[in-house]
Amino acid sequence: MFELTLKQITSLIALLAFALAGVSCKSAQGEVFFGKTKPPDRNVLHYYTGDEPESLDPQVSSGQPERRIYMALFEGLVEYDPKDMHPIPAIAERWDINDDFSEFVFHLRRNARWSNGDLINANDFVYTFRRGLSPKLASRNAGFGYYLRYGEAYNQGAVFVRDASNHFLLEKDFASEGNASQQLGQKQLTPAQSGYKPTAQESTSDRDTPFHQFMHSPARLTLPGDEKTRNSLMAKDAKLKVAVAGKEFVEVKAEDIGVEAVDDYTLRLSLRQSAPFFLGLLANQFSRLVPRSAVNTYGEQWATPGHMVTCGPFKLKSWKPYNELDVERDPMYWDSASVHLDEIDFYPLVDLSTAMNLYKVGELDAVSNHTVPNAWVDVVRQKKDYMIAPEAASIYIHINTTKPPMNDVRVRKAFNMAIDKDNWIKWRKIVKPLDGIMPEGIFSGYPYPKGDRFDAEKGRQLLAQAGYPVTKKGDGSYECPTFPVDQVEYTFPTASTNKTMAEFMQAQWKQNLGITISLRSMEFKTFITYRANLEYKGMAFGAFSADYLDPYTFSSIFYTPTGDNGTGWWDQKYVDMLDEANTLPAPRRFELLARAEQLMIDAQPIIPIETGAVNWTKKPYVKGLYPNAGSLFAWKFVYIERDPSKWDYSTPTLTN
Amino acid sequence: MLRFIIRRLLVTIPMIVVVITLTWGLIRLAPGNFYSGEKKIPKAVEKNIREKYGLNKPWYVQYGRTMGHIVRLDFGDSLKYQGQLVNTIIARSLPVSAIVGILAYLLALIVGITVGSIAALKQNSKWDYASMALAMLGISIPNFVLGPLLVLLFSLALYWLPPSRWSGFPSRSVVLPVLTLSAIYMAYIARLTRAGMLEVLRSDYIRTARAKGLRERDVVIRHALRGGIMPVVSFTGPALAFLLTGTVVVERIFGLPGLGNYFIQASLNRDEPLILGIVAFIAMTLLIMNLLVDIAYAFLDPRIRY
Amino acid sequence: MEDERPLIHTDPEFAVAETDVHVIEGSGTVIGTSLWKDAWRRLLKNKLAVFGLIVVITITVVSLIGPLIIKAATGYTYDFIPNNVVLIKSMPPLTGPEGSFSWAHPMGTDNSGRDLLARVLLGGRISLMVGIISTMVSLIIGISYGAVAGYLGGRIDNLMMRLVDVLYSLPYIILVIVLLAMFRSKTPVGQLVLLFIALGSVSWLTMARIVRGQVLSLKNQEFVLAARATGVSTTRIIFRHLVPNTLGPVIVYATLTIPSVMLTEAFLSFLGFGVQPPLASWGSLAADGIQNIGIFPWQLIFPGVTMALTLFSLNFLGDGLRDALDPQMRKA
Repeated sequence: MFELTLKQITSLIALLAFALAGVSCKSAQGEVFFGKTKPPDRNVLHYYTGDEPESLDPQVSSGQPERRIYMALFEGLVEYDPKDMHPIPAIAERWDINDDFSEFVFHLRRNARWSNGDLINANDFVYTFRRGLSPKLASRNAGFGYYLRYGEAYNQGAVFVRDASNHFLLEKDFASEGNASQQLGQKQLTPAQSGYKPTAQESTSDRDTPFHQFMHSPARLTLPGDEKTRNSLMAKDAKLKVAVAGKEFVEVKAEDIGVEAVDDYTLRLSLRQSAPFFLGLLANQFSRLVPRSAVNTYGEQWATPGHMVTCGPFKLKSWKPYNELDVERDPMYWDSASVHLDEIDFYPLVDLSTAMNLYKVGELDAVSNHTVPNAWVDVVRQKKDYMIAPEAASIYIHINTTKPPMNDVRVRKAFNMAIDKDNWIKWRKIVKPLDGIMPEGIFSGYPYPKGDRFDAEKGRQLLAQAGYPVTKKGDGSYECPTFPVDQVEYTFPTASTNKTMAEFMQAQWKQNLGITISLRSMEFKTFITYRANLEYKGMAFGAFSADYLDPYTFSSIFYTPTGDNGTGWWDQKYVDMLDEANTLPAPRRFELLARAEQLMIDAQPIIPIETGAVNWTKKPYVKGLYPNAGSLFAWKFVYIERDPSKWDYSTPTLTN
Repeated sequence: MLRFIIRRLLVTIPMIVVVITLTWGLIRLAPGNFYSGEKKIPKAVEKNIREKYGLNKPWYVQYGRTMGHIVRLDFGDSLKYQGQLVNTIIARSLPVSAIVGILAYLLALIVGITVGSIAALKQNSKWDYASMALAMLGISIPNFVLGPLLVLLFSLALYWLPPSRWSGFPSRSVVLPVLTLSAIYMAYIARLTRAGMLEVLRSDYIRTARAKGLRERDVVIRHALRGGIMPVVSFTGPALAFLLTGTVVVERIFGLPGLGNYFIQASLNRDEPLILGIVAFIAMTLLIMNLLVDIAYAFLDPRIRY
Repeated sequence: MEDERPLIHTDPEFAVAETDVHVIEGSGTVIGTSLWKDAWRRLLKNKLAVFGLIVVITITVVSLIGPLIIKAATGYTYDFIPNNVVLIKSMPPLTGPEGSFSWAHPMGTDNSGRDLLARVLLGGRISLMVGIISTMVSLIIGISYGAVAGYLGGRIDNLMMRLVDVLYSLPYIILVIVLLAMFRSKTPVGQLVLLFIALGSVSWLTMARIVRGQVLSLKNQEFVLAARATGVSTTRIIFRHLVPNTLGPVIVYATLTIPSVMLTEAFLSFLGFGVQPPLASWGSLAADGIQNIGIFPWQLIFPGVTMALTLFSLNFLGDGLRDALDPQMRKA
């Protein structure tokens, strides 16, 4: 056996340890940016987008990873402004809105083309909306089309009721639950604030087609298409049953939806209610153009390389599943001259730390929202390429108000007041507090109502009033023996951040109310159904991101008792306030929405926890990518800056 | 020789059948459904799956069906990766694993044999001690420690190489995985070569060659090396099996879309068709490689006759 | 991992010489003391092997009693998550939450604020335990199998060794992975038992071969004939007379198997199939640490270096043992 001396071995080990220590010191040390900052040689952006996209059909998938890819490949009537996400003209050059926000007329530009060179016109939009709402497609985003008149009815396969003389039963004659739909105003159209003035010849206020008149006639009654549901509905409403007897059921067709191509370059959308926020909604992927030619030729397989036809600033170059998705500049795009990047390479990855490592080394130039792992945030937020900005997302706790003991508002308030949220916010560091449902600091001009402060004593008093007295034990801790803990638990989807939050809340309730709430975690998709069906006992985790940048996206959570609501709380007064608010002009609208929010806060169907913050990084040489509230980026504005003096040395400002 | 090969091949086929059967048995014996894992599936979907896989029939019928398909190399669709044939997945991921594995082993051979031979020639010198100490280190550091440390140094600190992802071959993304994988084999091969060369260098026919006045270089390369690397050749058999686990771990660390990574994912997802496909493929490869090793052994040592 | 050199005692001439020593000594006992004393002396002269022995013993002892000491001194265990939310983060070694120097965590903490030293020691307990027990499992199976095959000889031996050959060419790891993936035990202890069995069944084959070779060369010795003549049953002959004589190579192989089994267990835990939380082994600690290698490298470095050191020492020890028990193979 060779005789390496002990000295030699120890010196070898010492050398290695030293090298390791040196390396690890360097890596944790203070570099200004998180990693290498050398711009790529080519004019290509490498972006981490999340998981592998499910489909490239913009109307099919509702996931986050796909969203940013769709924004590169497809365009719609309007686009999100890169800084504050307000709608800016895209394929629509300008638009007119009527006074009560129930009718929108879009004037399309004439030079917009598909990637195969075909011209785009209003009929493409009509096709897109009709296809998106078709029940056969079963799009998960169909809700975005429900604001169009009869959109929901068509998507749900509902029917009209017609009598022998071709008259349809009208909705206003029958009281319906919740949604009293607005009549379309007969008022004059007024131009919107888009910076363009309508020319006299272009005015469409008197371009009155038969379809337009149909849209302006009182809304027709719609009944469920499924016979069983219909019969049970009629059984509950005698007046309905009588009125329906002897009449015919006519399916609501795609042609009944409130979209009309007035001419080749004029599109008119008629809504079922007043919706001042509707423009912002139109930038969602659901309303981006889908190529009729490709869908007709290839059916479901149209969104694949070789078959695909797109209309956005980029077109599909190649797609290696689970590896890379590349898009390249589309010369046919109407604004191709303004597009800076030649190519975007999207990397789908599952692991957040892998993504951040690739970012550090420079293989990725930017990552999508919520990519920095929780444990890393402390270190990464010190770097200048970490984006510090609020997010239009709220984190809160749903309360199941339909079952005791949580059906007592005093109990709900007690649980809310027993949490020291400031302490939680301090630990989270990047997020802000939340008082109601509206994320703080997002909607300028919105008068945010205040919620209850942390007051453990008051919480205990409320519990006592509700019949569950809290007593103090010898060692100073509390207990609440009469509280039915088997009726209340806290459920959350499995993820480490959720678990930490759950454990914190549990500790707070135990400490301040003397009640130990058990925790339960489950897989995400199972959790969503569990909560939506109000199957959960007591409390459940909630997170909501804005679908568009208007407070109404959050207010509307409680518009119906089902869907995103998940609490069982519903109040006619609240709904009325919301409906009225949508008919009001801007400042008064916000006031009324805020008062509605206060109503909700007083009823306490949720326990607000935190306003989200964006959590991503981008290299300083990537410009045009702003940390806006929704983390949605119009790629045509993004470019790579090669002059270091013009780089972003901190979070770029969102104001103009 | 030919008879030997044929005999071995005849043994190989039942062996593969045994391996596949064992795997199939393990998957089916396991508690729970192999098609759902932890999630709850809607009743309608479950009914479709049960029909498609004939799960209502007795187990031997199912086994027969599965084997019948496999014999025709039809492994069906992956359960987790919708709409993708198992064969497609294997075809796509095989080159990645193969490239990394082959390059790693080649590197290990070249470096290991060289270092080991020189150590043997310069026995008891500083070079000998140093290289054998390093070899010992190479055997003792697990590859899932070495890999990330290499990443920490060469990628995250120095920015020379990418920390993960496969960018095709040739590219910089090949370097770290190959280095990580080959380290332990380099070490073993160096030690083996040294041991083998030491024995050979003491033998009579080498003494004869030297006495005849041949140059040292010729003595070593043309005569000694052939005998000296015998232990390395016989090591190749078990090394291949180990290379497999090594590849799996390396693919995991570096996020390579290779066969090993897919195998692990398939096992975690209980993706029966994919598991069976990969297992069959690997078993076949291993057995054939073992056969090739034995043939090589015969070529190298004229004393061995089959 | 199969030993890379042909093992000792397969050369019949040499085997005879060994047992002749026994017979010359005249003692009826199976283990001749002078042979072992010789080996022990040789081992002690080998500084590296001694170094290896010391390190292994140190690590084993520290793994066993260390956690108790830490718990008594600071209250930290391997699964203790601090209540104060501020402490739930990964702190570097010897650093407090605000960045100042602190003795509290000599190896730092993981992302949940758990003391890394406690976890590395737990990892040591588990890894060593798995290594030793699995090796013992493979010893028991291998020795029995090999001894029986060797002693019975003839067709039975042929058949048994054929089976070993066949099993040898199976891709074991694959089957083990599938086994562990499918049969995830509900309890951590159950999972460990599963691991013992799975890992033990991987390495018994070579043991069987070695023992068989030994037995083959020993079975015609006089002491065996004597035992048979006096009517000792076959089982007793095998297990009380032959097996103890094979202990030399068995010990060497066992010492070399332990690190290899530990490595395999580490692989499996790293991939997620081995030890389950809340328990940890060095492999699973490494898997956790790799997630944060760029930011908190100590989470990987400490378990990794500890494991490398242990394997290093075990390998040296094994090499030393082999040289000590096998004089004629010693290199000049």
